[in-house]
Amino acid sequence: MGFTEDNQKERMKFIGLWAKYVREHSDRDWSRQQNVIINSSIRSSTITREEYLKLKNNGFKHHR
Amino acid sequence: MGYCMKFIKGGAMEIGRELSELDAFAIDFIKTLRKHTKYAIVSGYVSILLGRARSSEDIDIIIPRAGFPEFVLLFRELYKKGFYCLNSDNEKEAYGYVRDGIAVRFAKKGKVIPNIELKFSKNRIDEISLKDTLKVRLGKEELVISGLEMQVAFKENVLKSPKDIEDAMHIRNVTGNNLSRELIEKYSVMLRGFYRR
Repeated sequence: MGFTEDNQKERMKFIGLWAKYVREHSDRDWSRQQNVIINSSIRSSTITREEYLKLKNNGFKHHR
Repeated sequence: MGYCMKFIKGGAMEIGRELSELDAFAIDFIKTLRKHTKYAIVSGYVSILLGRARSSEDIDIIIPRAGFPEFVLLFRELYKKGFYCLNSDNEKEAYGYVRDGIAVRFAKKGKVIPNIELKFSKNRIDEISLKDTLKVRLGKEELVISGLEMQVAFKENVLKSPKDIEDAMHIRNVTGNNLSRELIEKYSVMLRGFYRR
């Protein structure tokens, strides 16, 4: 089995284990842990409007 | 102590989660949006709301098609509430994008992430997402998401990236018997037929 398949198998295993944790623990418990990922991801963003829309291939026209 | 997510009668569920910055942003936007139109949150944020261990920089929302006068009222109120449109600060241009099927994005002024990706309903699949919805109660707040069966079917049959397959697997795993397997299959058949065209 190659790296990609191994990695995918590991990821799916984690998805299952984390879902079990979510089912068996209070919402407050799992969400506190999840929020570490979410909030740090939001706070670390430094991308500009132009860069972001280019990345997303979205329209952009800026009028002042 | 706390409680675990639960489905309640009348197409609703309660999640006692501690709100993330992404949740707070979604709630803030929806407070304005819901005064103007029906809506349904779809895609990645749905699985995140249900506990998926990942983040997202945007929240996808579908609304019914609207005319320019209605869109302008929403646009102006969003600006008053501290949001701006990333695509264009000009309301006519922003409307042109969304009317032509290009999603427009809204973030808090001075920020790019997180943002809302707002689009008009464009086909009968989007219409189902708007009609078959689930209210998610987060303490005193409430968000409307597309039905979970459609979300799972769409991710498994249309989007199909590893991230989407994992999102669908997470939703299936955490909701267990609260999902209708028959409805997922019905939507899967419908989606495969629709996107084969």
